[in-house]
Amino acid sequence: MTGVRTDTGTTGAMATAASADRIATPATAAAAPTARKRRRSLTDVLIAAWGVLGLLFLFFPVIVIIVYSFNTGRQLRSWDGFGFSSYENALSNPTIVATIQVSILAAAGSAVVSTILGSLAGVALARRPSARWVGWLTLLLGLIMVTPEIVNAVSLLPWFVDLSNTWNLSIFSIGQVRLIVAHSLFSCAVVTFIVRARMAGVDESLEEAAADLGAPPLRRFLDITFPLMRPAVISGALLAFTLSLDNTVLSSFVSVAGSTPWPVYVFASLRATLRPEIAAVSTLMLGLTLIALALVGLVLRRASKTTGDTNGGLAATLVG
Amino acid sequence: MAVDAAVRTAPAARTGGRRLRWSIGMLALPISVWLVFFFIVPFGLILWYSFGDKPSLYVTHSNDVLSLDRYVEAVSPAFLQTFGRTLEISVVGTILCLLIAFPMAYWMATKLSPRRQGLVLALVLIPYWTNFLVRTIGWQITLSPEGFLSEGLQALGLRDGPLEVLYTMPAVQLGVVYNYLPLMILPLYVALERMDHRLLEASRDLGANAFESFRRVTLPLALPGIAAGMLLVFVPLMGDYITPSVLGGAQGGMVGQMVAGQFNRAQNWALGSAMAVILMLAILATVVIFALVARLVGSVLGRVQRVDLSAALPQQGGAR
Repeated sequence: MTGVRTDTGTTGAMATAASADRIATPATAAAAPTARKRRRSLTDVLIAAWGVLGLLFLFFPVIVIIVYSFNTGRQLRSWDGFGFSSYENALSNPTIVATIQVSILAAAGSAVVSTILGSLAGVALARRPSARWVGWLTLLLGLIMVTPEIVNAVSLLPWFVDLSNTWNLSIFSIGQVRLIVAHSLFSCAVVTFIVRARMAGVDESLEEAAADLGAPPLRRFLDITFPLMRPAVISGALLAFTLSLDNTVLSSFVSVAGSTPWPVYVFASLRATLRPEIAAVSTLMLGLTLIALALVGLVLRRASKTTGDTNGGLAATLVG
Repeated sequence: MAVDAAVRTAPAARTGGRRLRWSIGMLALPISVWLVFFFIVPFGLILWYSFGDKPSLYVTHSNDVLSLDRYVEAVSPAFLQTFGRTLEISVVGTILCLLIAFPMAYWMATKLSPRRQGLVLALVLIPYWTNFLVRTIGWQITLSPEGFLSEGLQALGLRDGPLEVLYTMPAVQLGVVYNYLPLMILPLYVALERMDHRLLEASRDLGANAFESFRRVTLPLALPGIAAGMLLVFVPLMGDYITPSVLGGAQGGMVGQMVAGQFNRAQNWALGSAMAVILMLAILATVVIFALVARLVGSVLGRVQRVDLSAALPQQGGAR
């Protein structure tokens, strides 16, 4: 709090000093800064307070969940006492452990699928920005990003049933496969955009040179293209992993009994009673997501050092 | 450039270059096939179902007789009421998100040092990457009649009875504003962070007051971010299914739940498909109208601001 205030204070003072420098006549320069400084610092304080309040608002329910994960009562909502019983109960409950395993496996699978598909498409889009198919592919990816999850979910359910029953493709009756396919759709669009953003600034001449020197396509890809796109691929994969880990709507429609992922288990227990175990596992999962996020940040930061990217670029990448 | 031209004139290298060109275009093929097969075709399937009917209790759909009857059935008074409520929650929620997010993004982008910006950005992202469902459950705990907020307010004498917000429309409104706020903050931050701050100083030096500078410099430059943020919030909000399920109860239902109900409980895929198609069309129509309005506003603002911006641009280019 205090750190923020001093910081904005100095910035404000520096800005006023800078603007005072530019005012030509000394007479106005003497009067203007004092009046301006007071007004500016007041709005600065108000804006900073708004910002900090906004952050508290964003963190509020997350903190509630973390605190209530230490609730020793039977019901999540009503606080009973402080203790670690919910963590013990959660980790010794075979159903809960199974749902977490399903979630992590699906997340890993969908990360692999969407990273492969998205990286290839990202390279293609970055290298051929004016090709005829680019408009169509961009439209397709854009449609995926604006389609509400629920519409996506209700259309995938009959399709999977059709594929496994009418077309006899029994692979689509496996819950894990359905989850991976469903989660990969949005994620591969995200990965595509991240990789495209990374590769858009990279010159193609290196690959052309390698081709002229007789390097086969695979060799060219492994030696030149992949090292260039690695930061985007890693962060895309980790984002795909966390997106899949969080997915509730698609999963609740396509999952099959026996391969229920964690969020679907939570959603189903909403109708019965929410127990503190749910908060406990959620806190653990938050830790997992934070580790993934920190890795993304680290990778992007290291990459941005070489390309001179800023926080804005980082945010743009994470929003997709 | 010179190398490129040289490569193109040499006949032997030309075929190599063309092969490279062709094979790079092929990289976009897997994702296209994947998305057509698991996104376009399933949507076509429910479009097809929506023209059919539900022939008997134990059959989900049938396309023996094609008609538009399901659309007539879908726009029942109950559906229209829910649809109206969904639209209201979405429009109010998008506007509230914008009003809360703008000062926050402005604070992050203009008042903090780059180092702090990274930190605050991470703080905004942590709740965003916490499970959507779990965050909403955090609000359910907070708002419940026997929760800590209710008891605290009663202990302070601010309320006579327990809190009666949970399972009402205001609870859903709060929940969606909370859930989609980061999606508004991030694009606004990206837009404001790219803004050249010297434009503000220039405007102030030229005699504009704070409000005038905001209206004529900051706002036009933030417009792309505002448009992106409103789109990112509005679209998923219209199709939200989780937030009203956790916080809404009977009074605060949204369209997404009605669509889901037809697939989950009623097992009427034909009617559910028609509802999903209506929802999708409504969202697309809103986005198209919004894009047209945004373009109109942009061109009007652009005409007014053209003198200012064209004077500023060369300076900006030189600085970067």
